[in-house]
Amino acid sequence: MITPTGLFRARETPLHHAPAWFKVLLLLATTVAVIMLDDPVSSLGIMAACLLLLVSTQPPARTTTVAMVGTLVVAALTSAIHLWRGDWARAVDVSADLIAVVALALAVAASTAMTAMLDLVSTLARPIRVILPPETLGLMFALLLRALPEVAQIYLESRQAARARGFDRNLRALLYPTTTRTVGFALELGQAIHARGIGEEGDQIESGKRRARRSRRSSAGRDATVSASHTPGAGTGIGSDEA
Amino acid sequence: MIEFKDAGVTAPDTGVTILKPTSLTLTERRVSVIGANGGGKSTLVRLINGLIPATTGSVEVDGLDVARKGPEVRRKVGFLFTDPSAQLIMPTAIEDVMLSLRRTIKDRDERTRAALDALEEMGLGDRADVAVGSLSGGQRQLLALAGVLAVTPSILVADEPTTLLDLRWRAHVGALLRSLPVQLIEVTHDLDSAARAERTIVIDDGAVAFDGDPAEAVRFYRDLMFGRTTRTAAP
Ligand SMILES: Nc1ncnc2c1ncn2[C@@H]1O[C@H](COP(=O)(O)OP(=O)(O)OP(=O)(O)O)[C@@H](O)[C@H]1O
Ligand SMILES: [Mg+2]
Repeated sequence: MITPTGLFRARETPLHHAPAWFKVLLLLATTVAVIMLDDPVSSLGIMAACLLLLVSTQPPARTTTVAMVGTLVVAALTSAIHLWRGDWARAVDVSADLIAVVALALAVAASTAMTAMLDLVSTLARPIRVILPPETLGLMFALLLRALPEVAQIYLESRQAARARGFDRNLRALLYPTTTRTVGFALELGQAIHARGIGEEGDQIESGKRRARRSRRSSAGRDATVSASHTPGAGTGIGSDEA
Repeated sequence: MIEFKDAGVTAPDTGVTILKPTSLTLTERRVSVIGANGGGKSTLVRLINGLIPATTGSVEVDGLDVARKGPEVRRKVGFLFTDPSAQLIMPTAIEDVMLSLRRTIKDRDERTRAALDALEEMGLGDRADVAVGSLSGGQRQLLALAGVLAVTPSILVADEPTTLLDLRWRAHVGALLRSLPVQLIEVTHDLDSAARAERTIVIDDGAVAFDGDPAEAVRFYRDLMFGRTTRTAAP
């Protein structure tokens, strides 16, 4: 399974000790910088720095190599287009930019624990806490990262199953199972979150108003449909109310 | 103590009865629930922590009405699903257990230590920083269990926790579950495991068909499934 942040390894490197906000800021600043700067020399310099940072985090070799090789291929293709147009400077600039940003993103992923990321998301979300509790937003972020590889996996399995039955070019044979299984996964995950009491952390400190709203909801829930009761993820768990 | 008071579930859109009004008082430390596919076992046990609300009657856990005190009840009742993958949220083992602890332990270092303890308890101490995806199915179920037990529930509901596991893991997880200092309500298709409980409930067609001695319950269930002839004549 490919997890976006499965890159993280507990290590004792400088980047591991740097706070998450600093790393995210660095990534943002670097991205802006490489987009603004379009001379090849400074792009190459930034790229070298980013690669060094990546190596310094001692990332897991295989996953990192795969990601970097993929990036190199994309970079090579993009450069080829610019070279074909005779713009070698732009070719160097664009591929160096791409490699720099990917390398730095990998460095951040390899050196930042998911929980640290979540805390950062929660902190950044403070100003909009009225609309959405920060804990909820952090959880949504985690769930998003959790769901992406899962959906990819479901898609791949559905494609294999469709092929096995001889539906090589049948879009429906691919989309139906992918969609229903994705929904099924979401429902199961929602139930699990609900069962683990995650997203209910605001309980003890919730305001009286919320408590009143909740008790009204749960009494309404008693005559809610059974199918609704199977979707706590959509109805209660990760929803805005209980978090 | 878990108390079903005429608790029933119907699908209001279709009016189909999924669980007929059921009254049960569960005080035994090991209760197993068996029965045919689609009989209503999962529905019954999901009533205990409010994952499914009762449409008639009520369910109480230690005197708390599940419909009104949902969050409080879920703090007492841990729930283990068949497929651990759907229960695990975070990318690494320790982070997933720490997620469970977010609500109870605010201090980060303390939380890390508690999570490590919970993992060690399950024999996953050396797997703390491993990506969840690279754990085996059995290890994943142990991790899910670690996440559930980290918040020290007094009741554990397990819905076919060993169905996806191989023979060795099934024995291991089964024994582990039975050794826990909690009241265990286990839905299972593993009749050997079911027979090790103190009380067994057979659910069939949305109702309790048998309730009592595990060995008798298993016999009852076999007869129900195959008719009385099977044991004398081979199919
Ligand atoms: N949301 C729903 N709406 C209507 N019917 C439902 C719903 N959820 C479950 N059912 C039906 O209720 C019945 C009982 O389901 P339940 O999952 O409790 O059975 P089970 O005993 O756990 O079966 P299994 O051994 O296959 O897990 C099944 O016939 C199922 O189709
Ligand atoms: Mg079931």
